Amino acid sequence: MKKVFVVYATDNVGTVVLEPIAAGDHVTCNGERRDIEIVAHDDIAYGHKIALMDIAEGDTVLKYGLSIGSASCDIRAGDHVHTHNVESNRGRGDLADRGAVSAE
Amino acid sequence: MSEFMGFYRPNGDVGIRNHLLILSGTVYANGVCERVADTIQGAVPIVHANGRCQVAPDLRVTRRYLAGTAMNPNVGGVVIIDHFKEEGMTAEDLADDIAPTGKLIATVNIRGDGGFISAIEKATRYAQDFARQISLYQREAAPMSKILFGTECGTSDTTSGLGSNPANGLAGEILIAQGGRMLMAECTEWMGCENWLTEKAASPAVAEAIVAGVQHMESRALASGEDIRGSQPTGDNMAGGLTTIEEKSMGAVKKIGDSPIIEYLEIGEAPTRTDPGNYVMYGPGMGAESISSMAAAGCQVLTFCTGGGHTSNHPVMPTIKVTANRQSFELMRDTVDVDVSGVFHDEITLAEAGQIVYDEVERVCNGYLTKSEALRDNNSFAIHRVGPSI
Repeated sequence: MKKVFVVYATDNVGTVVLEPIAAGDHVTCNGERRDIEIVAHDDIAYGHKIALMDIAEGDTVLKYGLSIGSASCDIRAGDHVHTHNVESNRGRGDLADRGAVSAE
Repeated sequence: MSEFMGFYRPNGDVGIRNHLLILSGTVYANGVCERVADTIQGAVPIVHANGRCQVAPDLRVTRRYLAGTAMNPNVGGVVIIDHFKEEGMTAEDLADDIAPTGKLIATVNIRGDGGFISAIEKATRYAQDFARQISLYQREAAPMSKILFGTECGTSDTTSGLGSNPANGLAGEILIAQGGRMLMAECTEWMGCENWLTEKAASPAVAEAIVAGVQHMESRALASGEDIRGSQPTGDNMAGGLTTIEEKSMGAVKKIGDSPIIEYLEIGEAPTRTDPGNYVMYGPGMGAESISSMAAAGCQVLTFCTGGGHTSNHPVMPTIKVTANRQSFELMRDTVDVDVSGVFHDEITLAEAGQIVYDEVERVCNGYLTKSEALRDNNSFAIHRVGPSI
């Protein structure tokens, strides 16, 4: 059984800070949330994140209890969460002409 | 209330080092500065690419960086070397800015003093005299409330936001409890967590300035027509597991604790307030420009929290590297001072990690050399540009 670190109780991702995770590993959590057990779908390296629950495309990805971006596709519990399935909502000069950028 | 042993300056500031600065006014005086500094024991050259053909707002920032670096309490005396005459920032202008500190100041002009070789001779004689005068200065007991503690993060990875930064925030809280002040810059990295910061603002004006500062930096990114994600987070951030600027920001701002934010500063500007607490400064995420702006604001010491490990070191402000990544500590042991990775292995609590960081800061304030100081690797003086070269 591998463990990932959860910073805040409402987070939907955990972070690998001890041993790396391999696809098929059973994963539990330490830190602020310990009631979740999932099966990893991907190899996940040290420092990288795993989804603790299903996150639908467009939904907010939460770490520190706050948004770190939006899911750019459906993410399943146990998936590796990184730039391939999360996009930032800030500093998007490439979207400015489409009115999609807010600076709130 | 604990004390440290520091060097009192005529204006009441207290330094933790007693440097002689050989300060270049323009890029064309760099060579003379380096020759002089090579000759004199303990002299620190400050050289840079600026000082010529800058638009006025940009030149003002450069002037603030250069004068502020010399005004830093860790500096006992300064020899300023200028090449000819730059309207708006001559050696005399810099000397006027520095003069209120009451420290030793001399100016040399390469053209006015007869060229390269004569200027080296004149500046070397000033430097020899100043080096001997400041060698008489003694450390005296001073309250920790005299410390302005800068903090930075660079080459971050996930351990930064989870380990070294929160530990650092707790170390800052220990200093603030003794009347000290902590300064954080890098407003690019506040993007996405403005509310977390404004909730701590000591006044509505400070809160408004924080939001405006982030918007200004974000608008510069938008105006480039580029996707900021190409450079923030950086490639090494992403390899370390950080996905977005928001995630990087959240982890970054954790390097200050929960004390009120007393004042918002423009880049390189010294605080006008002395209240204990947090202070924040406008500026870029680029590490060397950022820590140089904090040295110019008067920080005597800085913690540099890093995930991947780092070599960054400012020439006059001891730069203590802290990591929570055990592998990085091993790979970068020559320049990383403190390892708090024990928080992830149930060896220490986060509160204990904060105390470890604070204890290292206090030792360095008392004269203990950082690893990079011992190596004389003074790599991180850099000036932020706000305009083009003309």
